[in-house]
Amino acid sequence: MAHITREELLKIARISNLQLDEQEIPVLIKQIEDVLTYAACVQEIVKFGNAEEPLAKNSNVFRPDVVIKTDPETILDRAPERERNYFVVPVILENL
Amino acid sequence: MKNLAFASIKELQLSLAKKELSSHELLDFFLKRFEKYDQQLGSALEVFDKESILKNYTAQGILAGIPGIIKDNICQQDRITSCASKILENFKSTYDATAVKWLKQEGALMIGRANCDEFAMGSSTETSAYKKTKNPWDFQRVPGGSSGGSIAAVAAGLVPWSLGSETGGSVRQPAALCGIVGLKPTYGLVSRYGLVAYSSSLDQIGVATRTVYDNALVLSAIAGNDTHDSSTLSQPKKNYTTNLTGSFAKGLKIGVIDNALHAQGMDNEVVVALEESIKTFEKLGATIHHVSLPIMDYGAAVYFILSRAEAASNLARFDGVRYGLRQEADSLAQMYAKTRQEGFGKEVKARIMIGNYVLSVGHADAFYTNARLAQGLMRRDFTAMFKQVDLLLAPTQPAPAFKFGAFDNNKLQMDLQDYFTCPINITGIPALSIPCGFSSSQLPIGVQLIGPHLSEEKIFQVAHAYEQATQWHTMHPAHFLN
Repeated sequence: MAHITREELLKIARISNLQLDEQEIPVLIKQIEDVLTYAACVQEIVKFGNAEEPLAKNSNVFRPDVVIKTDPETILDRAPERERNYFVVPVILENL
Repeated sequence: MKNLAFASIKELQLSLAKKELSSHELLDFFLKRFEKYDQQLGSALEVFDKESILKNYTAQGILAGIPGIIKDNICQQDRITSCASKILENFKSTYDATAVKWLKQEGALMIGRANCDEFAMGSSTETSAYKKTKNPWDFQRVPGGSSGGSIAAVAAGLVPWSLGSETGGSVRQPAALCGIVGLKPTYGLVSRYGLVAYSSSLDQIGVATRTVYDNALVLSAIAGNDTHDSSTLSQPKKNYTTNLTGSFAKGLKIGVIDNALHAQGMDNEVVVALEESIKTFEKLGATIHHVSLPIMDYGAAVYFILSRAEAASNLARFDGVRYGLRQEADSLAQMYAKTRQEGFGKEVKARIMIGNYVLSVGHADAFYTNARLAQGLMRRDFTAMFKQVDLLLAPTQPAPAFKFGAFDNNKLQMDLQDYFTCPINITGIPALSIPCGFSSSQLPIGVQLIGPHLSEEKIFQVAHAYEQATQWHTMHPAHFLN
Protein backbone atom coordinates (compact mmCIF):
# COMPACT_ATOMS: atom_id res chain seq x y z
CA MET A 1 0.00 0.00 0.00
CA ALA A 2 1.58 3.24 -1.14
CA HIS A 3 1.40 6.02 1.41
CA ILE A 4 1.83 9.67 0.47
CA THR A 5 2.14 12.30 3.18
CA ARG A 6 0.89 15.84 2.79
CA GLU A 7 4.52 17.05 2.69
CA GLU A 8 5.38 14.59 -0.08
CA LEU A 9 2.38 15.70 -2.10
CA LEU A 10 3.31 19.36 -1.75
CA LYS A 11 6.86 18.54 -2.77
CA ILE A 12 5.68 16.79 -5.96
CA ALA A 13 3.33 19.70 -6.63
CA ARG A 14 6.30 22.07 -6.37
CA ILE A 15 8.37 19.94 -8.78
CA SER A 16 5.33 19.90 -11.10
CA ASN A 17 4.96 23.70 -10.95
CA LEU A 18 1.45 23.41 -9.53
CA GLN A 19 0.04 25.57 -6.80
CA LEU A 20 -2.69 23.41 -5.25
CA ASP A 21 -5.85 24.55 -3.48
CA GLU A 22 -6.29 23.26 0.06
CA GLN A 23 -9.38 21.17 -0.80
CA GLU A 24 -7.60 19.40 -3.67
CA ILE A 25 -4.91 17.95 -1.42
CA PRO A 26 -6.77 15.03 0.25
CA VAL A 27 -8.45 14.06 -3.06
CA LEU A 28 -5.12 14.00 -4.90
CA ILE A 29 -3.45 12.04 -2.10
CA LYS A 30 -6.11 9.32 -2.38
CA GLN A 31 -6.06 9.23 -6.19
CA ILE A 32 -2.26 9.04 -6.37
CA GLU A 33 -2.06 6.44 -3.58
CA ASP A 34 -4.61 4.24 -5.37
CA VAL A 35 -2.71 4.33 -8.66
CA LEU A 36 0.68 3.74 -7.02
CA THR A 37 -0.64 0.88 -4.90
CA TYR A 38 -1.95 -0.77 -8.04
CA ALA A 39 1.13 0.02 -10.15
CA ALA A 40 3.49 -1.37 -7.50
CA CYS A 41 2.82 -4.85 -8.93
CA VAL A 42 5.49 -4.12 -11.58
CA GLN A 43 7.99 -4.96 -8.85
CA GLU A 44 7.04 -8.63 -9.35
CA ILE A 45 8.07 -8.44 -12.98
CA VAL A 46 11.48 -10.06 -12.48
CA LYS A 47 9.72 -13.43 -12.30
CA PHE A 48 9.02 -13.14 -16.04
CA GLY A 49 12.63 -13.05 -17.12
CA ASN A 50 16.02 -11.54 -16.82
CA ALA A 51 16.74 -7.87 -16.56
CA GLU A 52 18.89 -7.87 -19.68
CA GLU A 53 15.94 -8.24 -22.06
CA PRO A 54 16.50 -5.66 -24.79
CA LEU A 55 13.87 -3.06 -25.59
CA ALA A 56 13.06 -2.17 -29.20
CA LYS A 57 16.07 -2.07 -31.46
CA ASN A 58 15.92 1.60 -32.25
CA SER A 59 18.41 3.18 -34.58
CA ASN A 60 19.23 6.82 -34.89
CA VAL A 61 17.58 8.82 -37.64
CA PHE A 62 19.48 11.57 -39.40
CA ARG A 63 18.43 14.30 -41.77
CA PRO A 64 20.30 17.21 -43.33
CA ASP A 65 20.53 20.25 -41.08
CA VAL A 66 18.77 22.70 -43.37
CA VAL A 67 17.58 26.13 -42.29
CA ILE A 68 13.88 26.57 -42.98
CA LYS A 69 12.69 30.15 -43.12
CA THR A 70 9.87 30.87 -40.70
CA ASP A 71 8.13 34.08 -39.81
CA PRO A 72 8.60 34.84 -36.09
CA GLU A 73 5.32 36.78 -36.19
CA THR A 74 3.24 33.60 -36.37
CA ILE A 75 4.84 32.42 -33.12
CA LEU A 76 4.98 35.77 -31.32
CA ASP A 77 1.37 36.44 -32.25
CA ARG A 78 0.33 33.74 -29.79
CA ALA A 79 2.25 35.19 -26.84
CA PRO A 80 0.22 36.37 -23.84
CA GLU A 81 2.58 39.37 -23.69
CA ARG A 82 5.33 40.46 -26.06
CA GLU A 83 7.62 43.34 -26.80
CA ARG A 84 9.20 43.52 -30.24
CA ASN A 85 10.64 40.04 -30.84
CA TYR A 86 10.61 39.00 -27.18
CA PHE A 87 8.23 37.18 -24.87
CA VAL A 88 7.60 39.30 -21.79
CA VAL A 89 7.58 37.50 -18.42
CA PRO A 90 7.37 38.68 -14.80
CA VAL A 91 10.52 39.15 -12.68
CA ILE A 92 12.70 36.07 -12.79
CA LEU A 93 14.86 36.69 -9.71
CA GLU A 94 12.86 37.21 -6.55
CA ASN A 95 13.79 39.14 -3.38
CA LEU A 96 16.40 41.36 -4.97
CA MET B 1 -29.36 5.70 -51.98
CA LYS B 2 -30.09 4.43 -48.48
CA ASN B 3 -29.79 6.74 -45.48
CA LEU B 4 -27.04 9.19 -46.48
CA ALA B 5 -26.07 9.78 -42.85
CA PHE B 6 -24.97 6.20 -42.38
CA ALA B 7 -23.65 5.56 -45.87
CA SER B 8 -20.05 4.37 -46.01
CA ILE B 9 -17.32 6.47 -47.59
CA LYS B 10 -17.29 3.96 -50.42
CA GLU B 11 -21.03 4.52 -51.05
CA LEU B 12 -20.70 8.30 -50.78
CA GLN B 13 -17.86 8.27 -53.32
CA LEU B 14 -20.01 6.26 -55.71
CA SER B 15 -22.80 8.84 -55.42
CA LEU B 16 -20.34 11.66 -56.01
CA ALA B 17 -18.90 9.86 -59.04
CA LYS B 18 -22.37 9.28 -60.48
CA LYS B 19 -23.15 12.96 -59.82
CA GLU B 20 -26.18 12.02 -57.73
CA LEU B 21 -24.95 14.71 -55.40
CA SER B 22 -22.14 17.25 -55.33
CA SER B 23 -19.45 17.60 -52.69
CA HIS B 24 -21.07 20.92 -51.68
CA GLU B 25 -24.41 19.21 -51.11
CA LEU B 26 -22.72 16.46 -49.16
CA LEU B 27 -20.94 18.97 -46.93
CA ASP B 28 -24.21 20.89 -46.42
CA PHE B 29 -25.91 17.65 -45.47
CA PHE B 30 -23.38 16.82 -42.74
CA LEU B 31 -23.23 20.41 -41.47
CA LYS B 32 -27.02 20.23 -41.06
CA ARG B 33 -26.66 16.95 -39.17
CA PHE B 34 -24.40 18.72 -36.67
CA GLU B 35 -26.89 21.58 -36.39
CA LYS B 36 -29.73 19.19 -35.77
CA TYR B 37 -28.12 16.73 -33.38
CA ASP B 38 -24.92 17.97 -31.86
CA GLN B 39 -26.35 20.30 -29.25
CA GLN B 40 -27.67 17.16 -27.61
CA LEU B 41 -24.80 14.78 -28.48
CA GLY B 42 -21.92 17.17 -27.71
CA SER B 43 -19.38 15.56 -30.04
CA ALA B 44 -17.83 18.74 -31.45
CA LEU B 45 -16.06 21.60 -29.72
CA GLU B 46 -16.37 23.60 -32.93
CA VAL B 47 -17.95 23.10 -36.33
CA PHE B 48 -16.30 25.30 -38.95
CA ASP B 49 -18.13 27.45 -41.51
CA LYS B 50 -18.58 26.04 -45.00
CA GLU B 51 -16.41 28.61 -46.73
CA SER B 52 -13.35 27.97 -44.58
CA ILE B 53 -13.80 24.19 -44.82
CA LEU B 54 -13.70 24.42 -48.60
CA LYS B 55 -10.67 26.75 -48.71
CA ASN B 56 -8.07 25.24 -51.08
CA TYR B 57 -10.36 22.27 -51.83
CA THR B 58 -9.42 20.74 -55.19
CA ALA B 59 -11.79 17.73 -55.43
CA GLN B 60 -8.81 15.44 -56.04
CA GLY B 61 -7.69 12.41 -54.07
CA ILE B 62 -8.87 9.22 -52.43
CA LEU B 63 -11.11 11.07 -49.97
CA ALA B 64 -12.28 13.86 -52.27
CA GLY B 65 -15.27 15.65 -50.82
CA ILE B 66 -15.66 13.36 -47.80
CA PRO B 67 -16.08 15.28 -44.52
CA GLY B 68 -14.58 14.10 -41.25
CA ILE B 69 -13.83 15.49 -37.80
CA ILE B 70 -10.48 15.79 -36.03
CA LYS B 71 -9.82 15.23 -32.33
CA ASP B 72 -8.91 18.51 -30.71
CA ASN B 73 -5.36 17.46 -29.83
CA ILE B 74 -4.37 17.29 -33.52
CA CYS B 75 -3.29 20.60 -35.06
CA GLN B 76 -5.28 22.20 -37.87
CA GLN B 77 -3.66 25.36 -39.20
CA ASP B 78 -5.22 28.64 -38.01
CA ARG B 79 -7.83 26.71 -36.04
CA ILE B 80 -7.96 26.50 -32.28
CA THR B 81 -6.34 23.36 -30.83
CA SER B 82 -7.49 23.34 -27.21
CA CYS B 83 -6.87 19.69 -26.23
CA ALA B 84 -10.20 20.23 -24.40
CA SER B 85 -8.18 22.17 -21.81
CA LYS B 86 -8.59 25.69 -20.43
CA ILE B 87 -4.84 26.21 -20.73
CA LEU B 88 -5.10 26.19 -24.55
CA GLU B 89 -8.59 27.71 -24.81
CA ASN B 90 -7.62 30.30 -27.44
CA PHE B 91 -4.52 28.70 -28.89
CA LYS B 92 -4.47 28.64 -32.69
CA SER B 93 -2.21 26.15 -34.44
CA THR B 94 0.46 27.59 -36.69
CA TYR B 95 0.59 24.53 -38.92
CA ASP B 96 -1.31 21.41 -39.99
CA ALA B 97 -0.42 18.07 -38.40
CA THR B 98 1.08 15.81 -41.07
CA ALA B 99 -2.00 13.54 -40.89
CA VAL B 100 -4.27 16.55 -41.47
CA LYS B 101 -2.06 17.88 -44.27
CA TRP B 102 -2.12 14.53 -46.06
CA LEU B 103 -5.88 14.18 -45.60
CA LYS B 104 -6.35 17.60 -47.18
CA GLN B 105 -4.09 16.55 -50.05
CA GLU B 106 -6.40 13.58 -50.57
CA GLY B 107 -9.39 15.90 -50.79
CA ALA B 108 -10.88 15.21 -47.33
CA LEU B 109 -12.85 18.04 -45.71
CA MET B 110 -12.20 18.87 -42.04
CA ILE B 111 -15.57 19.82 -40.60
CA GLY B 112 -14.50 20.69 -37.07
CA ARG B 113 -12.77 19.88 -33.80
CA ALA B 114 -13.95 16.92 -31.74
CA ASN B 115 -14.33 16.90 -27.96
CA CYS B 116 -12.06 14.62 -25.94
CA ASP B 117 -10.72 14.08 -22.46
CA GLU B 118 -8.39 16.91 -21.46
CA PHE B 119 -5.02 16.26 -23.14
CA ALA B 120 -6.43 12.80 -24.04
CA MET B 121 -6.29 11.76 -20.38
CA GLY B 122 -9.37 9.75 -19.54
CA SER B 123 -11.66 6.93 -20.65
CA SER B 124 -15.03 8.67 -20.76
CA THR B 125 -14.47 12.16 -22.25
CA GLU B 126 -15.71 13.48 -18.88
CA THR B 127 -12.40 15.28 -18.15
CA SER B 128 -12.97 17.73 -21.05
CA ALA B 129 -12.97 21.28 -19.68
CA TYR B 130 -15.79 22.21 -22.05
CA LYS B 131 -18.56 19.68 -22.39
CA LYS B 132 -19.76 16.15 -21.92
CA THR B 133 -20.17 13.98 -25.00
CA LYS B 134 -23.00 11.47 -24.79
CA ASN B 135 -23.08 7.91 -26.01
CA PRO B 136 -25.31 7.94 -29.12
CA TRP B 137 -26.95 4.68 -27.97
CA ASP B 138 -27.92 5.94 -24.52
CA PHE B 139 -27.65 9.57 -23.47
CA GLN B 140 -27.24 8.59 -19.81
CA ARG B 141 -23.96 6.92 -20.67
CA VAL B 142 -20.47 7.97 -21.69
CA PRO B 143 -19.10 7.39 -25.21
CA GLY B 144 -15.79 6.19 -23.75
CA GLY B 145 -12.59 8.09 -24.23
CA SER B 146 -10.41 9.80 -24.62
CA SER B 147 -11.48 10.26 -28.28
CA GLY B 148 -15.18 10.28 -27.29
CA GLY B 149 -16.21 13.20 -29.52
CA SER B 150 -14.54 11.75 -32.63
CA ILE B 151 -16.17 8.38 -32.06
CA ALA B 152 -19.65 9.62 -31.08
CA ALA B 153 -19.81 11.81 -34.20
CA VAL B 154 -19.14 8.83 -36.46
CA ALA B 155 -21.46 6.48 -34.55
CA ALA B 156 -24.29 9.04 -34.77
CA GLY B 157 -23.84 9.53 -38.51
CA LEU B 158 -22.68 13.14 -38.25
CA VAL B 159 -19.56 12.30 -40.30
CA PRO B 160 -18.35 9.07 -41.94
CA TRP B 161 -14.82 9.18 -40.48
CA SER B 162 -12.77 10.85 -37.79
CA LEU B 163 -9.28 10.98 -36.38
CA GLY B 164 -8.65 10.22 -32.74
CA SER B 165 -5.46 9.50 -30.87
CA GLU B 166 -4.34 6.48 -28.89
CA THR B 167 -2.00 6.28 -25.93
CA GLY B 168 -3.63 3.44 -24.00
CA GLY B 169 -6.77 2.62 -26.00
CA SER B 170 -8.39 6.00 -26.62
CA VAL B 171 -9.74 5.10 -30.07
CA ARG B 172 -10.54 1.40 -29.62
CA GLN B 173 -12.31 1.67 -26.26
CA PRO B 174 -14.79 4.39 -27.32
CA ALA B 175 -15.23 2.66 -30.71
CA ALA B 176 -16.27 -0.49 -28.84
CA LEU B 177 -18.57 1.46 -26.51
CA CYS B 178 -20.27 3.17 -29.47
CA GLY B 179 -20.36 0.23 -31.88
CA ILE B 180 -17.94 1.35 -34.61
CA VAL B 181 -14.52 0.42 -36.03
CA GLY B 182 -11.44 1.90 -34.34
CA LEU B 183 -7.80 1.43 -35.33
CA LYS B 184 -4.61 1.82 -33.34
CA PRO B 185 -1.86 1.59 -35.99
CA THR B 186 1.67 0.25 -35.45
CA TYR B 187 3.77 2.79 -33.57
CA GLY B 188 5.55 4.84 -36.22
CA LEU B 189 3.15 4.10 -39.06
CA VAL B 190 1.40 7.48 -38.75
CA SER B 191 3.31 10.69 -38.11
CA ARG B 192 2.85 12.30 -34.69
CA TYR B 193 3.91 15.70 -36.06
CA GLY B 194 1.17 18.06 -34.93
CA LEU B 195 -0.36 15.63 -32.43
CA VAL B 196 -0.05 17.30 -29.03
CA ALA B 197 2.21 14.98 -27.03
CA TYR B 198 0.85 13.12 -24.01
CA SER B 199 3.18 10.11 -23.86
CA SER B 200 5.43 10.32 -26.91
CA SER B 201 6.65 6.71 -26.90
CA LEU B 202 3.06 5.42 -26.88
CA ASP B 203 1.01 8.09 -28.71
CA GLN B 204 -0.31 7.27 -32.17
CA ILE B 205 -3.06 8.85 -34.27
CA GLY B 206 -5.92 6.41 -34.88
CA VAL B 207 -8.87 6.17 -37.26
CA ALA B 208 -12.59 5.76 -36.50
CA THR B 209 -15.15 4.73 -39.12
CA ARG B 210 -18.30 2.60 -39.38
CA THR B 211 -16.81 0.02 -41.75
CA VAL B 212 -13.48 -1.75 -42.06
CA TYR B 213 -13.05 -0.68 -45.70
CA ASP B 214 -13.47 2.99 -44.76
CA ASN B 215 -10.97 2.61 -41.96
CA ALA B 216 -8.38 1.11 -44.34
CA LEU B 217 -9.06 3.93 -46.81
CA VAL B 218 -8.45 6.70 -44.26
CA LEU B 219 -5.31 4.94 -43.04
CA SER B 220 -4.06 4.87 -46.64
CA ALA B 221 -4.17 8.67 -46.60
CA ILE B 222 -2.33 9.22 -43.32
CA ALA B 223 0.22 6.37 -43.09
CA GLY B 224 3.81 6.74 -44.20
CA ASN B 225 7.25 8.09 -43.45
CA ASP B 226 7.42 11.75 -42.46
CA THR B 227 10.60 13.80 -42.17
CA HIS B 228 8.96 15.83 -39.39
CA ASP B 229 8.66 12.77 -37.13
CA SER B 230 11.87 10.76 -36.89
CA SER B 231 10.02 7.92 -35.16
CA THR B 232 7.99 7.18 -38.31
CA LEU B 233 8.94 3.93 -40.03
CA SER B 234 10.28 3.87 -43.57
CA GLN B 235 7.06 2.57 -45.04
CA PRO B 236 6.04 3.50 -48.57
CA LYS B 237 2.58 4.90 -49.23
CA LYS B 238 0.20 2.01 -49.60
CA ASN B 239 -3.44 1.29 -50.40
CA TYR B 240 -4.71 -0.65 -47.38
CA THR B 241 -8.01 -1.57 -49.06
CA THR B 242 -6.65 -3.86 -51.78
CA ASN B 243 -6.86 -7.13 -49.82
CA LEU B 244 -10.42 -6.66 -48.61
CA THR B 245 -11.96 -9.53 -50.52
CA GLY B 246 -14.43 -10.75 -47.91
CA SER B 247 -12.37 -13.82 -47.14
CA PHE B 248 -8.96 -14.78 -45.79
CA ALA B 249 -6.56 -17.71 -46.10
CA LYS B 250 -8.04 -20.95 -44.73
CA GLY B 251 -6.28 -22.11 -41.62
CA LEU B 252 -5.36 -18.62 -40.46
CA LYS B 253 -4.43 -19.03 -36.80
CA ILE B 254 -6.26 -16.80 -34.35
CA GLY B 255 -5.08 -16.95 -30.75
CA VAL B 256 -7.79 -16.17 -28.23
CA ILE B 257 -6.15 -14.60 -25.18
CA ASP B 258 -7.93 -16.63 -22.51
CA ASN B 259 -6.63 -14.70 -19.50
CA ALA B 260 -8.15 -11.57 -21.04
CA LEU B 261 -11.46 -13.09 -22.14
CA HIS B 262 -11.97 -14.68 -18.73
CA ALA B 263 -10.37 -11.96 -16.63
CA GLN B 264 -11.90 -11.20 -13.27
CA GLY B 265 -14.69 -8.63 -13.51
CA MET B 266 -15.55 -9.31 -17.17
CA ASP B 267 -19.18 -8.58 -17.95
CA ASN B 268 -20.90 -11.82 -18.94
CA GLU B 269 -22.68 -10.32 -21.94
CA VAL B 270 -19.34 -9.15 -23.33
CA VAL B 271 -17.91 -12.67 -22.91
CA VAL B 272 -20.93 -14.20 -24.68
CA ALA B 273 -20.65 -11.75 -27.61
CA LEU B 274 -16.93 -12.49 -27.96
CA GLU B 275 -17.50 -16.24 -27.87
CA GLU B 276 -20.03 -15.82 -30.70
CA SER B 277 -17.49 -13.81 -32.70
CA ILE B 278 -14.91 -16.57 -32.22
CA LYS B 279 -17.38 -19.09 -33.71
CA THR B 280 -17.88 -16.80 -36.71
CA PHE B 281 -14.13 -16.51 -37.31
CA GLU B 282 -13.97 -20.30 -37.16
CA LYS B 283 -16.79 -20.62 -39.71
CA LEU B 284 -14.90 -18.26 -41.99
CA GLY B 285 -11.96 -20.68 -41.99
CA ALA B 286 -9.77 -19.62 -39.09
CA THR B 287 -8.36 -22.15 -36.67
CA ILE B 288 -8.80 -21.05 -33.08
CA HIS B 289 -6.01 -21.50 -30.55
CA HIS B 290 -6.53 -20.75 -26.89
CA VAL B 291 -3.46 -19.00 -25.58
CA SER B 292 -2.41 -17.27 -22.41
CA LEU B 293 -0.34 -14.11 -22.06
CA PRO B 294 0.04 -13.66 -18.29
CA ILE B 295 2.27 -10.62 -18.76
CA MET B 296 -0.67 -8.77 -20.30
CA ASP B 297 -2.09 -8.54 -16.79
CA TYR B 298 0.73 -6.11 -15.95
CA GLY B 299 -0.15 -3.87 -18.89
CA ALA B 300 -2.26 -1.40 -16.98
CA ALA B 301 0.37 -0.95 -14.26
CA VAL B 302 3.12 -0.44 -16.84
CA TYR B 303 0.91 1.97 -18.72
CA PHE B 304 0.08 4.01 -15.62
CA ILE B 305 3.79 4.49 -14.92
CA LEU B 306 5.20 5.11 -18.41
CA SER B 307 2.40 7.36 -19.63
CA ARG B 308 2.35 9.54 -16.50
CA ALA B 309 6.13 9.81 -16.49
CA GLU B 310 6.19 11.04 -20.07
CA ALA B 311 3.18 13.28 -19.49
CA ALA B 312 4.98 15.01 -16.63
CA SER B 313 7.73 16.17 -18.94
CA ASN B 314 5.59 16.73 -22.04
CA LEU B 315 3.13 18.95 -20.20
CA ALA B 316 5.91 21.01 -18.58
CA ARG B 317 5.82 23.18 -21.71
CA PHE B 318 2.46 24.71 -20.80
CA ASP B 319 3.70 27.53 -18.62
CA GLY B 320 2.00 30.72 -19.80
CA VAL B 321 5.10 32.16 -21.48
CA ARG B 322 4.74 31.67 -25.23
CA TYR B 323 1.09 30.77 -25.82
CA GLY B 324 -2.10 29.78 -24.10
CA LEU B 325 -3.43 30.92 -20.76
CA ARG B 326 -1.38 33.16 -18.45
CA GLN B 327 -2.27 34.04 -14.88
CA GLU B 328 -0.64 37.29 -13.79
CA ALA B 329 1.75 37.04 -10.83
CA ASP B 330 4.61 38.97 -9.25
CA SER B 331 7.32 36.51 -10.19
CA LEU B 332 7.99 34.01 -12.95
CA ALA B 333 7.80 31.00 -10.62
CA GLN B 334 4.43 32.11 -9.29
CA MET B 335 3.19 32.80 -12.80
CA TYR B 336 4.04 29.22 -13.85
CA ALA B 337 2.36 27.68 -10.81
CA LYS B 338 -0.78 29.86 -10.95
CA THR B 339 -1.19 29.43 -14.71
CA ARG B 340 -0.93 25.65 -14.48
CA GLN B 341 -3.15 25.50 -11.42
CA GLU B 342 -5.83 27.51 -13.21
CA GLY B 343 -5.38 25.98 -16.66
CA PHE B 344 -5.19 22.25 -15.94
CA GLY B 345 -8.07 20.09 -14.76
CA LYS B 346 -7.93 17.60 -11.88
CA GLU B 347 -7.07 14.50 -13.92
CA VAL B 348 -4.22 16.21 -15.76
CA LYS B 349 -2.75 17.50 -12.49
CA ALA B 350 -2.96 14.05 -10.91
CA ARG B 351 -1.23 12.44 -13.88
CA ILE B 352 1.57 15.02 -13.96
CA MET B 353 2.15 14.50 -10.25
CA ILE B 354 2.14 10.70 -10.52
CA GLY B 355 4.66 11.04 -13.36
CA ASN B 356 6.98 13.19 -11.30
CA TYR B 357 6.61 10.81 -8.35
CA VAL B 358 7.55 7.64 -10.30
CA LEU B 359 10.57 9.45 -11.77
CA SER B 360 11.76 10.94 -8.49
CA VAL B 361 14.84 9.85 -6.56
CA GLY B 362 13.97 6.94 -4.31
CA HIS B 363 10.97 5.81 -6.38
CA ALA B 364 12.28 5.60 -9.95
CA ASP B 365 13.81 2.14 -9.46
CA ALA B 366 10.69 0.60 -7.96
CA PHE B 367 8.34 2.10 -10.53
CA TYR B 368 9.86 3.49 -13.72
CA THR B 369 12.77 1.08 -14.12
CA ASN B 370 10.56 -1.94 -13.47
CA ALA B 371 7.93 -0.66 -15.88
CA ARG B 372 10.53 -0.31 -18.64
CA LEU B 373 11.72 -3.83 -17.91
CA ALA B 374 8.13 -5.09 -18.04
CA GLN B 375 7.68 -3.30 -21.38
CA GLY B 376 10.65 -5.22 -22.80
CA LEU B 377 9.32 -8.51 -21.48
CA MET B 378 5.88 -7.77 -22.85
CA ARG B 379 7.35 -7.15 -26.30
CA ARG B 380 9.30 -10.41 -26.00
CA ASP B 381 6.19 -12.42 -25.07
CA PHE B 382 3.97 -10.90 -27.77
CA THR B 383 6.68 -11.47 -30.40
CA ALA B 384 6.98 -15.12 -29.31
CA MET B 385 3.20 -15.51 -29.45
CA PHE B 386 3.12 -14.29 -33.05
CA LYS B 387 5.41 -17.21 -33.97
CA GLN B 388 2.54 -19.52 -32.98
CA VAL B 389 -0.49 -17.60 -34.26
CA ASP B 390 -1.19 -15.03 -37.00
CA LEU B 391 -3.47 -12.75 -35.01
CA LEU B 392 -4.65 -12.46 -31.42
CA LEU B 393 -8.20 -11.83 -30.28
CA ALA B 394 -9.18 -10.12 -27.02
CA PRO B 395 -11.99 -8.03 -25.58
CA THR B 396 -11.69 -4.27 -26.15
CA GLN B 397 -13.73 -3.33 -23.10
CA PRO B 398 -14.53 -5.15 -19.82
CA ALA B 399 -18.19 -4.05 -19.91
CA PRO B 400 -20.64 -2.01 -22.00
CA ALA B 401 -20.71 1.81 -21.71
CA PHE B 402 -21.09 3.08 -18.14
CA LYS B 403 -23.14 5.99 -16.81
CA PHE B 404 -21.81 9.51 -16.34
CA GLY B 405 -20.13 9.87 -12.96
CA ALA B 406 -19.96 6.09 -12.41
CA PHE B 407 -16.30 6.27 -11.39
CA ASP B 408 -16.24 9.71 -9.77
CA ASN B 409 -15.30 8.15 -6.45
CA ASN B 410 -13.04 5.47 -7.82
CA LYS B 411 -10.67 6.88 -10.40
CA LEU B 412 -8.62 3.69 -10.41
CA GLN B 413 -11.59 1.73 -11.81
CA MET B 414 -11.89 4.35 -14.54
CA ASP B 415 -8.18 4.01 -15.32
CA LEU B 416 -8.61 0.23 -15.57
CA GLN B 417 -10.85 0.73 -18.63
CA ASP B 418 -7.52 0.54 -20.50
CA TYR B 419 -6.76 -2.95 -19.18
CA PHE B 420 -7.13 -4.83 -22.50
CA THR B 421 -6.08 -2.04 -24.83
CA CYS B 422 -2.92 -0.54 -23.32
CA PRO B 423 -0.65 -3.61 -23.72
CA ILE B 424 -0.95 -2.95 -27.47
CA ASN B 425 0.37 0.60 -27.08
CA ILE B 426 3.15 -0.59 -24.77
CA THR B 427 4.32 -3.15 -27.32
CA GLY B 428 3.85 -0.80 -30.30
CA ILE B 429 1.79 -3.29 -32.32
CA PRO B 430 -1.47 -2.62 -34.23
CA ALA B 431 -5.01 -3.56 -33.18
CA LEU B 432 -8.47 -2.96 -34.57
CA SER B 433 -11.68 -2.95 -32.55
CA ILE B 434 -14.78 -4.00 -34.48
CA PRO B 435 -18.39 -4.28 -33.31
CA CYS B 436 -19.42 -7.84 -32.38
CA GLY B 437 -22.76 -7.55 -30.63
CA PHE B 438 -25.02 -5.79 -28.18
CA SER B 439 -25.89 -6.15 -24.52
CA SER B 440 -29.48 -6.88 -23.47
CA SER B 441 -29.91 -3.12 -22.96
CA GLN B 442 -28.83 -2.40 -26.56
CA LEU B 443 -25.32 -1.19 -25.78
CA PRO B 444 -22.57 -2.05 -28.29
CA ILE B 445 -19.79 -4.54 -27.63
CA GLY B 446 -16.45 -4.68 -29.45
CA VAL B 447 -13.75 -7.25 -30.06
CA GLN B 448 -10.17 -6.44 -30.95
CA LEU B 449 -7.92 -8.17 -33.43
CA ILE B 450 -4.25 -7.73 -32.63
CA GLY B 451 -1.36 -8.42 -34.98
CA PRO B 452 2.44 -8.17 -35.11
CA HIS B 453 4.18 -4.97 -36.20
CA LEU B 454 2.89 -3.63 -39.54
CA SER B 455 0.22 -6.32 -39.96
CA GLU B 456 -2.54 -3.76 -40.61
CA GLU B 457 -3.37 -5.28 -44.00
CA LYS B 458 -3.94 -8.71 -42.53
CA ILE B 459 -5.96 -7.35 -39.61
CA PHE B 460 -8.17 -5.38 -42.01
CA GLN B 461 -8.62 -8.40 -44.28
CA VAL B 462 -9.76 -10.67 -41.45
CA ALA B 463 -11.93 -7.99 -39.83
CA HIS B 464 -13.53 -7.17 -43.18
CA ALA B 465 -14.41 -10.83 -43.78
CA TYR B 466 -16.02 -10.94 -40.32
CA GLU B 467 -17.92 -7.73 -41.04
CA GLN B 468 -19.28 -9.14 -44.31
CA ALA B 469 -20.52 -12.21 -42.43
CA THR B 470 -22.28 -10.21 -39.68
CA GLN B 471 -24.81 -7.40 -39.41
CA TRP B 472 -23.40 -5.33 -36.52
CA HIS B 473 -22.03 -2.56 -38.75
CA THR B 474 -25.50 -2.01 -40.22
CA MET B 475 -27.07 -1.21 -36.86
CA HIS B 476 -27.25 2.45 -35.87
CA PRO B 477 -28.63 4.36 -32.87
CA ALA B 478 -32.36 4.97 -33.46
CA HIS B 479 -32.32 8.60 -32.32
CA PHE B 480 -30.09 9.57 -35.26
CA LEU B 481 -31.75 7.69 -38.07
CA ASN B 482 -33.76 10.59 -39.55
